[in-house]
Amino acid sequence: MRGSPLAARGALAAFFVFSAPASGDFQAATAAVSETSSLFPKVEGWKISDGPTRYTPETLFEYIDGGAESFLQFDFQDLASATYANDGAAHAKNRPSSRASHDRDSTAASKAEITVDIYRHRDAFRAFGMYTQERPAGTTPLPIGVEAYAGPDYLEFVVGPYYVKLVQSGARQPSFLRRFAEKVVADLAGTREPPAVLKCFPERGKRARAEKLMARDFLGHPFLHDAVAVPYQIGEANFRLFVVEGKDSADVRAMVQRYRAVAKSPAVATDSAGSEGTATLKDPLNGEVTLQWKGRWLWGAVDQPADECQSLLDELGRKLSALDKESSAGSPASGTR
Amino acid sequence: MNNTNKLERRDFLKLGAGGLAAGVLSAGCATAASTQEKQNLSAETAAPPKPAPTAEPAAPVAKTAGPPRRVLGRTGIEVPIVSMGVMNADNPNLVRAALDGGIFLLDTAHGYQEGRNEEMLGTVLKDRKRDSFVIATKVHLSTLDRKTGLFSKETRGEEIGEKLDISLKRLGLDHVDILHLHNQSARESVLYEPVLKALEKAKRDGKARFLGCSTHKNEPEVIRAAVEAKLYDVVLTSYNFRQDHHLEVQKAVGEAAQAGLGIVAMKTQAGVYWDKEKQSPINMKAALKWALRDPNVHTAIPGFTTLDQLQADLEVLRDSTLTDDDKRSLEAPKLVGFFCQGCDQCLDPCLEKLPIPELMRSFMYAHAYRNRQAAQALLLELDLPESPCGDCGACPVRCAKGFDVRQRVRDIVRLREVPREFLI
Repeated sequence: MRGSPLAARGALAAFFVFSAPASGDFQAATAAVSETSSLFPKVEGWKISDGPTRYTPETLFEYIDGGAESFLQFDFQDLASATYANDGAAHAKNRPSSRASHDRDSTAASKAEITVDIYRHRDAFRAFGMYTQERPAGTTPLPIGVEAYAGPDYLEFVVGPYYVKLVQSGARQPSFLRRFAEKVVADLAGTREPPAVLKCFPERGKRARAEKLMARDFLGHPFLHDAVAVPYQIGEANFRLFVVEGKDSADVRAMVQRYRAVAKSPAVATDSAGSEGTATLKDPLNGEVTLQWKGRWLWGAVDQPADECQSLLDELGRKLSALDKESSAGSPASGTR
Repeated sequence: MNNTNKLERRDFLKLGAGGLAAGVLSAGCATAASTQEKQNLSAETAAPPKPAPTAEPAAPVAKTAGPPRRVLGRTGIEVPIVSMGVMNADNPNLVRAALDGGIFLLDTAHGYQEGRNEEMLGTVLKDRKRDSFVIATKVHLSTLDRKTGLFSKETRGEEIGEKLDISLKRLGLDHVDILHLHNQSARESVLYEPVLKALEKAKRDGKARFLGCSTHKNEPEVIRAAVEAKLYDVVLTSYNFRQDHHLEVQKAVGEAAQAGLGIVAMKTQAGVYWDKEKQSPINMKAALKWALRDPNVHTAIPGFTTLDQLQADLEVLRDSTLTDDDKRSLEAPKLVGFFCQGCDQCLDPCLEKLPIPELMRSFMYAHAYRNRQAAQALLLELDLPESPCGDCGACPVRCAKGFDVRQRVRDIVRLREVPREFLI
C-alpha cells in the first residue's frame, strides 16, 4: 500500500486532478425518529400528561440550554422526555428534570408529577461518564441500574447507555421516585455494571464515588480520550490517579509521543519495543504528570502527585494487566467500555 | 514533585500567546476601550456593522498594555473581547490558564452539570482576588414553558433568589458581577413583572452587580424587550455567521448597544462542524472573529476544553482582524452534487458488488469537505479489491442522483495509495 515518496506525490497529484462532479440536488438526510413511547412504562394511577418528546444533538439546547454542551462531549444520541401526572395534577410542560433548575416548592397540593428524562449516549462508558460529571460529592448510592442517587425530589441513575433523571414536583410526599425508577430501569437494556477499570484503582486513600470519566479532551488535551480519573487523599497530599484506555498499544504510544511534544519533554525510559515505559512530564496546563504505559493502557498521577503515588501506580498497573488477562480469558467485563 | 503548575502555565502563555498574561490588570476598574482594539476594528475589509453611539460619554481611554478590551455597555466594566464559556469545562487548570492569559470574564449557569460547573469554578476563584475576574451566572426558572417561552401562572420570582443563593455558595462568592435570566425567547417573559422584581431585589441586596438575560431563540425580540424593560444591563445572545437571521440580530444588537446595554455573544462557533458526520470542522478562529467584527459586540464566550482551543482563542484575543482568508473559510462547503442519499439503488446493478454509498461518502469527504484523511480512513475500512471496477466495461450502475459513479469510484480509490503524512 505504501510507495516511495515520489510515487506518493504522484498519486496525490493525480488525485487532485479531478474533473467537476456531476450536478445534483443536495437533499438532507432526515433523521429517523426513534420510537420513544416504549421507554416509558405504564404506571398504575398515573398517566403521561406531556410527551414523550424527543430531542436530538441539534435540539437538546432547546431543552437544557448551554448544559447541552457537556452532553455532546459524551456523544449524546437522543433524549426522550415525558411527564407523568397522577389524577388531577396540573401539567408541567417542557420542564427539564434537572434538579438544579426545578421548582421544589411549586405547590403544596397532594397531586404530583414525575418528569422522566432518558438520555441515550453512544455507549455505557459515555453514559456513566456524563453521570459522573453531574453527580454531587458525598452521595449515598442506590442499587438501581449501575448506580443511582436521590434527593428529596429527584433521583438519577445510569444503566447501559442510558442516563436517566427523574424529578417529582407538586406534592413531594410521598415520594414516588423510587417506584418509577425501578419500573423505568426494568425496561432499559444494557449493563448493570460500572466500567471494569474502576476496580483497578487502589483502595488506599481513594475518595469514594468521586471518580470522573472523560470521553475526550482529558486534562485539556484532545489526544487523551476514554479516561477515568479518581481523586485520592493520603495525609496532606491530594492528587488524582488516572487511566486512559487506548484502542491498542500503537494508540497509546501515539498518545505518549504527542504528550511529550506538548510538554517538550526529553526522552523517556521505555522498553526496546516502546510498548512499555514511564515518564514524568511537565504539562504546561496541569503541572507535573507521572505517566506509565503498557499495551493499551496509559496510567498516571496528576495534581501535585505525592511520593506515595508510586506504590499506588504500581498496584494500578498490576491490576490493569490482570484485567487484560481476564479479558483474554473471556470475561465480559473489560476496560472502560 | 513540586508545585509547578503556575509557573508552567505562565511559561506556556509567554510562548503561546505572546505574553498576554503580563497585561492582565484589575478587571473591574477600567472603563474604556483600548487604542489597539480600535485599530483592529478599523482594519476590517468587509463592511462591518456600525458602532452604536455611546449612550453616555466614555471615560478617558485607559491605555493598558494587555489584550484588547471593550466596555460592556453601561456596566462600565472593561472586558476582554474573548471571554470563556465554562459550560463544558471540568478542568480547573484550564480555567486558571484562561485567567492567566487575560480571559477574565467567566460565564457559567446555575444548571450546568447540575451545579458541578459552578463548584469547579469555586475551586479556582478562591485563590483569586475578587477584582481580578468578572463572573456571570444564569438562573433558569422551572415554570418557563420551553415551547412558548412564557412563564406559567405558578411562577415565583423568589425562585431566582433561592437559586442565586445556591450559586453563590457553590462559587464561594458573596456576589456575581452579572446575573442573567436564562434562556428567554419571548418579549412577555423578559418583561414579566414578578421576575423583574426578583432580579431587582438581587441587585438591591448586593448579590448581583448587574442584570442580564440570555437568548438563543427569537433573539431580536428578546434583545429589544431587554431594552424596553430598562432593568437589564447586559444581553447574552446567540450570534454567528450561520444564522439565517444574523442581520436581524445584528440590528437588534446595535439598538441595544446604543441604548447602553452590554452585548455578549455566544454560540459564535456555529455548531463547530459544517456537517452531521463531523468531518468538516468550521474555522473556529474565523467564526469567533466574525462575531467580534461587530463593534457592538463587547465580548464573546466561546466554550473550550483543550489547551489548543485556549491557545487559538488567545490568538483571537490578541488579534481579532477578520482577514480575507478567514472570510473565505467561512463559506459553506458546496455539497450540491456530493451528498449521497443512501438509497442503495446502485448496489444490485454493480457487478463488483462495491459499497458504492460509502465510496460516495468518501468522495464527499475528500472533495466537498477537503478532509482527505477522513476520506482515506473510510476507504481503508471498506476492504476493497485492488482494482475495484475490475474488468467492467460499460458500468451498469445508474445513480438516482445522477452521479457518475464509475468516474467517482476510480477517482477516490486512488487515495488509498497516498501515505497519510501527505494528506493535509
